[in-house]
Amino acid sequence: MSFTLELDYQYTSTVEKVWAAITDPAKLAKWVMENNFKPEVGYRFQFRQKPTEWWDGIVEGEVLLVEEPKKLSYTWGTGAEQHTVTWTIQDLGDGKVNLHLEQSGISNQQAYNGAKYGWGAMLDQLVKLLEQ
Amino acid sequence: MNENNPSRDVFDAIADPTRRQLIQLLSQAEEIPLHELTAQFQMGRTAVSKHLTILKEAGLVADRKVGRETRFRLNAAPLREIHNWVGFYSKFWSTNMVRLDLLLKEEDE
Repeated sequence: MSFTLELDYQYTSTVEKVWAAITDPAKLAKWVMENNFKPEVGYRFQFRQKPTEWWDGIVEGEVLLVEEPKKLSYTWGTGAEQHTVTWTIQDLGDGKVNLHLEQSGISNQQAYNGAKYGWGAMLDQLVKLLEQ
Repeated sequence: MNENNPSRDVFDAIADPTRRQLIQLLSQAEEIPLHELTAQFQMGRTAVSKHLTILKEAGLVADRKVGRETRFRLNAAPLREIHNWVGFYSKFWSTNMVRLDLLLKEEDE
């Protein structure tokens, strides 16, 4: 059993700039985390951020697919979770670019149940409950 | 079964709408007897009891006998786990996508 998260975002930019933003380590550091990323198939990398109460802040991965400047895929492992992240960039014309994120392999039972539940509309209600 | 070592995954426990409603009801009172909880549902006492047992196994409710009735109360602490999990996956990506937007705008300047 596995869960896939898919998100779409539109940016006013070019395919090349978005490609650079998802592959250049200096740019990735500005919006994701400090890293030693390289867009080379087979390359192993780490993203790191300050540990929190419930996460050690380390993501380890391996580049699976590089189709410059449209598609990039790598593994994304943190804690017990081993996911595959795939970015797809699409030119929408008029200076607009769509960036699609697919995160698959959210695999352990607890994470799956959490996802199944979590993406529903209950979150706000739950937050209120926890704040009581 | 104790609250510190639950035998059931909390995500599993709240996957059912009846059990979510039970949590909601219990969050509004200190303690509620079984017969009052049962009155809120279109199902019998036994069915409601079974749901409460599952919540109990996940450490989400505690019960005690008072005379002939059983009273239930909410222990919301295990919900923290869900809060954290969901918070990580939703906030992590949505926050980052907003940051990416800022980065792309900066580059245009």
